[in-house]
Amino acid sequence: MKNEELRVKSDEWEIGGKTLKSRMLIGSALYPSPANMEEAIKESEAQIVTVALRRQSAGESSGNNFWDIIKELNINVLPNTAGCHSAKEAITTAQMAREVFGTNWIKLEVIGDQYNLQPDPFETVKAAEILVKEGFEVFPYTTDDLVVAKRLVDVGCKILMPWGSPIGSGQGLINKNNLKTIRKQFPDLKLIVDAGIGKPSDAVEAMQLGYDGILLNSAIALAQDPVNMAKAFKYATIAGRLGYEAGLMQKREFASPSTPTVGTPFWHQFS
Amino acid sequence: MIKVSVNGKIKELQKGLNVSQMIEALNYKTKGFAVAINTTFVPIAKYEETIIHDGDTIDILAPVQGG
Repeated sequence: MKNEELRVKSDEWEIGGKTLKSRMLIGSALYPSPANMEEAIKESEAQIVTVALRRQSAGESSGNNFWDIIKELNINVLPNTAGCHSAKEAITTAQMAREVFGTNWIKLEVIGDQYNLQPDPFETVKAAEILVKEGFEVFPYTTDDLVVAKRLVDVGCKILMPWGSPIGSGQGLINKNNLKTIRKQFPDLKLIVDAGIGKPSDAVEAMQLGYDGILLNSAIALAQDPVNMAKAFKYATIAGRLGYEAGLMQKREFASPSTPTVGTPFWHQFS
Repeated sequence: MIKVSVNGKIKELQKGLNVSQMIEALNYKTKGFAVAINTTFVPIAKYEETIIHDGDTIDILAPVQGG
């Protein structure tokens, strides 16, 4: 399939001050090898890749090798605050990420529960408020709770990233109604479904709901063939967006024939 | 000498070192990391004026894969 065949009305979209073509945000973790990661990211044609910060020992250079590969890709990096459990930790991590990665973008993750890695709404809102004031473009990872979404918007977030389901679970969109409600309530906000996407059809569903993009990692990196799965998600994201833009038909309660009934053969009217 | 925690490990350092001198003393050779002391970010511009104290908890973070 040639890429030029895959046209959507709005070929380009804007997020965080950047104009992009791809609506897929890809993670850089869990791949079988750095080379596989690099190839999968290239095949996905994603223009945003998520990265993280972790403790580095003296003399250790593996982190720099990773960062060299990412820099070579020449795409936008979205550092995360994964592993943080308080607003204070997340703010410090964001400040450190801004210096290391040279971007004011931050994927704000403040985990409130270790079992399902559910974000802590109170600490997330607290951190978002401070980070927005400090000039960060905050991409907050949140649940599909409408009130939390409202609070994040109240403190200045222009992007929201509600989960489809818990991180790394691959359960897809477990509460489509809530995701739909957030879309309806915030028509002008940039909305990304983050976490829980397990298969390409989940990406299609998220995009068909009118979400502006999807962010995923495990579904690609843990596939038997991450490179081809990256390609599958690329097409799924485009298909979902095309479907949304084309306007889905209304569901009907009863069957309705698609073939014309006028002129149906072998039908005789006796009167 | 003072004792500090560097990335979760106890290290001994000379008293009165600033952040730049601490990095050198700890033998960090590669660039591309950021420093926090007691969970507060220390920007590069403040390395010279920020002195390490006994009992400080220091985090030195570098890029890794993330989702």
